[in-house]
Amino acid sequence: MADVIHLNYFSLAVLNRFGIKLGFGDKTVDEVCKQYKVDVDFFLEIVNTFVDKDYFPKKHLQTFPVKLITDYLQKTHNDYHNIKVPEIEYLIEKMIDSCFTQKDNIVLLKKFFNDYKQELQNHTRREEEVVFPYTLAIEKAYNSDTIDKSVIELMETYSIEIFQNEHDNIEEKLFDLKNIIIKYLPQPKDLKLCNKLLHELFSLEQDLNDHARIEEKVLVPKIREMEQIITERFSGEKKNA
Amino acid sequence: MPKSSFIIIEKSYLIRKGLISLIDKIPNTQTIQQIDQTDDLKALKKFDADFVIINSNLIHKELIKTLMEASDTFQLILLSEDNDSVPGLSWVEKIDLNESHNSILKKLNNAVGNKINSQAKTSTPDEISDREADILRNIALGYSNKEIADKLFISTHTVVTHRKNITRKLGIKTVPGLTIYAILNKLINIDDQSKL
Repeated sequence: MADVIHLNYFSLAVLNRFGIKLGFGDKTVDEVCKQYKVDVDFFLEIVNTFVDKDYFPKKHLQTFPVKLITDYLQKTHNDYHNIKVPEIEYLIEKMIDSCFTQKDNIVLLKKFFNDYKQELQNHTRREEEVVFPYTLAIEKAYNSDTIDKSVIELMETYSIEIFQNEHDNIEEKLFDLKNIIIKYLPQPKDLKLCNKLLHELFSLEQDLNDHARIEEKVLVPKIREMEQIITERFSGEKKNA
Repeated sequence: MPKSSFIIIEKSYLIRKGLISLIDKIPNTQTIQQIDQTDDLKALKKFDADFVIINSNLIHKELIKTLMEASDTFQLILLSEDNDSVPGLSWVEKIDLNESHNSILKKLNNAVGNKINSQAKTSTPDEISDREADILRNIALGYSNKEIADKLFISTHTVVTHRKNITRKLGIKTVPGLTIYAILNKLINIDDQSKL
C-alpha cells in the first residue's frame, strides 16, 4: 500500500475517502483493504483512474454495485465541503489580511468564491437528495424478481436522462476564477499565498472533473441500461399476466 | 492565442498514443479527446475542437453526416493505410500510417500553421475593442442581452456575437467572472454593481 502513495501522492486523497489511515507498515493493498472492509477491486480502479487521466475502464467500473459508486461519490462531496473549500477560503482570507493595496479586489474574489461555494453545495445536495436515492432504487428493482409498479411510477417522474441533462458544468466558474487570478489580478504582495491558492483551485478542478467523469461515464450509462431492462421486463410481465 | 485542439478517432491504442505524442511536440496544441469507436459521436458536437483526426476504416454513413453538420467548426485530417479518399469530405491533410516521423510532423504543423494564419488575418489581437468594452460594462451591470441590445440600438444577435468574442478573448465564461474583470479594469465601479 505504501508503494501506491510513493508512486503518486495524489492517491492520498483516495485513501482518505475510503477511510484508510496511514501507518499500515508493509501491508499489501489487499491486506489493508480487508482491514478497512474496502472492496479491493473497486479501490484499485478508483485509485488508478484518479491518478491517471488516461486510464478509465468504464465497462469494468460499470460492473460495480451502485451503492459502492454512490458511496464513493458521496465521500468526495464531503471532501469538497470539509477540506478543499475551507482550505481555499482560508487562503483567500489570509490574502486579504496580508495585502493592503489589493484588498478590495481580493474581497471581490472572496465574494465570487462564496457564490461558487453556494452553487457547489446546491449541486451536491441535489445529487445526494434526488439522484443517489433514485439510482439505488433502480438497482434494487433491477435485482428483485418482480418489478413493483411503484418503480415504474418512479421512473415516470424521474429518469437518469433528466439528471444527465440538468447536470451542469460546475467547473466553469472555477475556471474563470483561475483565469482572473492568472491573467488579470494585479499581483498581490504575497506571491506564495497566491500560488498556493492557484494550486488548490487546480486541484479542486481536477477532482471535480474526475468526479463528473465517474457520474457521466459510469453511473449514468449503468442506470440507463437498468432502466431499459426494467421497462422491458415490466411490459413482459404485464403480457404474461 | 488559444491552443489548437485535436480529437482523435482511431481504434488502435498504440496509434492513438503515437499521434498524441506527435501532437504534443507541436507548440500550442492539445489533444482534448480520444475516441476508440465511432458510436461515441456525441462528444464531437460537445467539444470545440479545431482538428479531428480520423481513421478511414472508421468512417461510415452516419459519421459522415455528423461530420458534415459540424464541418465549419473543425477541420479534418485523414488517417489511412492506402490514401483512398472519402467522397463528400474535404481533408486539410492526409496521413499515411506508414509515413515517417518527420513527414507526419510536417503535415500536422502545416495544418496548425494554416489555421493560425487564417485566424491572424480575420481577428485582432486578444484585446477587447471599445464596443466590446461597452457590452462588457453592461453585462457586468447585470443587464440581459435584450436590454443591452435596446440600450445600444443593436440586435440581440449582435450582442450575442460580441459576448462570444469577449469570452474568447478574455478566457472568462461566466457573468460573475466578467463582472470581476470589469471591476479590476475599472470599466465599472464596485458601487455601481452593488446598487443593483
